[in-house]
Amino acid sequence: MRITPYRSAFVTGARTASAEPIEFALRPLFLVVILMVYESLWGVVIEGAGGIVASYDYRAIIWYVVAAQAAVIGIIPRQIEEIGDDIGGGTIAVEMLRPVSVVLFRIAAGLGDALVRSGSAFVIGAAFVTVTVGPPPSATAVLLALPAMALAVIANMVSQYAFGGAAFWIEDAKGAWFLYQKLIFIVGGMLIPLEFFPGAFETLAHYLPFWTMAYVPGRLMAGHFEPWLIVIQLAWIAVLFPLATLIFRSGERRMQVVGG
Amino acid sequence: MRIVLASMRTAFLEAWTNRRSFWLQVTMMMANDLVWIAFWVLLFNKVGDVRGWDARRIVLLYAVLTTAAGLALGLLANSRRIGRMAVEGELDPVLTLPVRPLVYLLTKRVDTSLLGDLIFGPVLFFTLAGPTVERTAIYIAGSLASAAVLVAFLVLLGALTLLIGGKGEQSDLGFQAVLIFSSYPLDIFGGATKFMLYTAIPAAFVTGLPVRLVDEFHAGTFALLLGGAAFISLLAAMSFKLGLRRYSSGALWTRA
Repeated sequence: MRITPYRSAFVTGARTASAEPIEFALRPLFLVVILMVYESLWGVVIEGAGGIVASYDYRAIIWYVVAAQAAVIGIIPRQIEEIGDDIGGGTIAVEMLRPVSVVLFRIAAGLGDALVRSGSAFVIGAAFVTVTVGPPPSATAVLLALPAMALAVIANMVSQYAFGGAAFWIEDAKGAWFLYQKLIFIVGGMLIPLEFFPGAFETLAHYLPFWTMAYVPGRLMAGHFEPWLIVIQLAWIAVLFPLATLIFRSGERRMQVVGG
Repeated sequence: MRIVLASMRTAFLEAWTNRRSFWLQVTMMMANDLVWIAFWVLLFNKVGDVRGWDARRIVLLYAVLTTAAGLALGLLANSRRIGRMAVEGELDPVLTLPVRPLVYLLTKRVDTSLLGDLIFGPVLFFTLAGPTVERTAIYIAGSLASAAVLVAFLVLLGALTLLIGGKGEQSDLGFQAVLIFSSYPLDIFGGATKFMLYTAIPAAFVTGLPVRLVDEFHAGTFALLLGGAAFISLLAAMSFKLGLRRYSSGALWTRA
């Protein structure tokens, strides 16, 4: 397999992310608004609980929020819908004429875009929080959290293609983006760490892939040195990536036989 | 008025035409609202109440917020698109019609998914927020005032695009900011942030004051809510008028 086209797609995606400078600057500002709200909320909650809740103190939980939000914010929310539209509208059929893997090419372009967006959101969010709350609780854990953020974006991206690929068979699958987004919000731990869940619900969340997309970078950024979390992210990517490829390959074959 | 009613009717029928899509979008929005309530339930389950806020009050907050959002963003969906409409030249045909442009623009489009909020809010209020005659009356008045503030704030942001240019990005950011701040209890904010919520981002008028009034009516607070809604509505209407004077067509063919 030649790497060059996918590398070019990745680079083009990264350039696209910063092509609209105002929009590029406003997205991280959106994160700052969220951080202002969460600083107020968690300040009250942690103070009321005596300084620590579910192993998080104030600084830890705010850094959790920065990493979890930045990891998710980089990916276009309606991506699954766009994938569905492209399948239904014939764009994918046209892309199949290229001598490259459709899904790999798209994932590469999407990752270029998402990693730049997530990275810039994290830089702005981290700068804001460093001023308002202080530096991250553990420098060592940050060294794990940064690659974990990138892996979270990758897991999220490949997972969206696995979900979105359903549109090859189901006409209304594009609406799945909404359900998917909510799964990341709650069972993915984007809104609240999994430790806040009641026992059985927390266990269930750990069996699903979504926690690798928000909770893991958040947990590490909060100062918990738990390298095995990265291993779990890699394991889920190792499952989701071939799954997305398989779904697209079958879908493309169906499109060739039945028609788009 | 007849034209406005006809315009609203057409917008609603357009959304209603595809029933399956209509109900799918409405259901998804209601599921979205439930997710936010689930977040709070999980939080309260772990830490108890937060500055006097418990699940019952959060339900009331979401009843007001979703009702107001349903009215402001569902029925008057163009309120958040005025800046972008100006940039994309969509104001031009409206200006040739014998109607008041702002009123016509606001009533021209319905956002189907946000109609889900308009269903969800009242259902939530009447099932879980302890409706009595007095509370219901204040809830209705508060939600209407809240919707007026939301619409006026978004029109104001749209008018900014007419006045200073850009692609309407400030509308998106302002829209997100006011909705996010309105989704949280006003009592968790303090100092400069709270001041901001009464002024630059009027989230206090969207949920803070209406919820407080439903729980405990106070004539002064009610006057503040109505006064705030009237003031920002007037400001928005004047800014839009001023913006229109500076508007010189967003005709797309000139940007070839």
